[in-house]
Amino acid sequence: MHPSKLQSLCLSLLIAYIAILLPWSGIGLTLRPDFLLLVIIFWMIRAPNLCNIGTAWGVGLLMDLASGGVFGQYALAYTIAAFFAATYQRRLVLFNHYQQLLYVFLLLLTSQISLLVLKMFTGSQPAGWQYFLPSISGVLLWRIALMLGLKTGARSSGA
Amino acid sequence: MIKGFNHKLEQQPAPAFFVRGPSSFARLAFFSALSIALIATDSRLQYLTALRQDLVALLQPLQTVANAPAQLYRNTDEYFTAHHNLLNQNRQFKQQLLKQDAALQRLSTLMLENEHLRNLLQANKALEESSIVGEIVHIGRDPFTKKVIVNRGDNDHVVAGAAVVDAVGVIGQVTRTYSGSSEVTLITDTSLAIPIQVERNGLRAIAFGHGRDQTLDLPFLPANVDIRRGDVLVTSGIDGVYPAGLKVASVTEVKISADSPFARIVGVPTGGVENHSQVLLVSLAHSEMWEGDEVITTPKASTKKTRVKPAPATNNPSKIHAPQ
Repeated sequence: MHPSKLQSLCLSLLIAYIAILLPWSGIGLTLRPDFLLLVIIFWMIRAPNLCNIGTAWGVGLLMDLASGGVFGQYALAYTIAAFFAATYQRRLVLFNHYQQLLYVFLLLLTSQISLLVLKMFTGSQPAGWQYFLPSISGVLLWRIALMLGLKTGARSSGA
Repeated sequence: MIKGFNHKLEQQPAPAFFVRGPSSFARLAFFSALSIALIATDSRLQYLTALRQDLVALLQPLQTVANAPAQLYRNTDEYFTAHHNLLNQNRQFKQQLLKQDAALQRLSTLMLENEHLRNLLQANKALEESSIVGEIVHIGRDPFTKKVIVNRGDNDHVVAGAAVVDAVGVIGQVTRTYSGSSEVTLITDTSLAIPIQVERNGLRAIAFGHGRDQTLDLPFLPANVDIRRGDVLVTSGIDGVYPAGLKVASVTEVKISADSPFARIVGVPTGGVENHSQVLLVSLAHSEMWEGDEVITTPKASTKKTRVKPAPATNNPSKIHAPQ
């Protein structure tokens, strides 16, 4: 279909995964944005035919492997976030940058909340409010990527 | 002509915009069901353990790549450390070695004496332990659990259930082993319980991890229990997991309220749970030594919450207290 796009999709996923595998600790770990989900959302907006809910599920499994938790938790959280990304993908071309940021933020939050619910079911302690910081850092990362000229399909706010 | 035109139309692939395959709702339902099935299988049954080990082994090269920058930084940092720093450190170590040598000499005579006395009493020999030094590779990535990954695994004969200690106290227990690394659950994790003994009076109890902050709880102890602030808690060794006499925590808070029959006792781990990188993995010798006697197997920790609690006695902690 688009071999070049497929290559860049795989490459960006690989880089995001290595970023997740970096030895984060302390504040870095608390703030670490969910690089994989950001990449997934980006590609679901840019190339919905290449990256769909199934891709998100598979990548979620990889994330489960990296986190060492119960298999399927991240997979389900990513699937849910990807579902909303897919549902509103066509509407997204009407959004400007700030609306898109809000949308991405909500998607990140959706995945985190579903993960939180799953963790509660499997008997974890409730996490503090810092748990939601990665969503904010994720949106900031998205904003930086926009400023660096990444095309995410949104209209620039001036237009 | 018209027929040919129609034919041409049919040959054209539909624009990518419309090619979507199954609806996204169908995909959501399918993949959610798959995830839930996986969660159920992994949390209740043990089928996926081997699969996970293989996959983690596959991930090892990626992990090495990810660790490379930090490793490089550490190496260069070490390389440029000032000369006199090293000299100072060296002097310190020498002094420490001298002190420890003296202590060790006393220990060896004590051990001989102890063995002799045990022989006289015809008591079981104390368990011998084998240990291996490991390095913490990275902190666990799950904010809900307290886990670290150590660079020793199946290849170094680390078994699930081995105790992990540092120079000042117990850190945790190996809960999962991979080929080149293993996962250590810290004693502050909610799923880990550790049988302890108060150093001052020998009172036995069980400490549970508190999860969020770096503390341990001693639940189900009566309000009149003889534990004070500043008491040192050491491992009791009755579980066959942790060698006896290692420091675990010191008590920081004892609260007795009129409306509860139990005291609220909180301790802070003495081991540098979060700030050391070198740890010692200690596994007690298994039941082969105990042939002829009743067989006591070292309980192995697993990911299952109920099995992580090491001692069988954890089922009813209130039974373990020393008589009041």
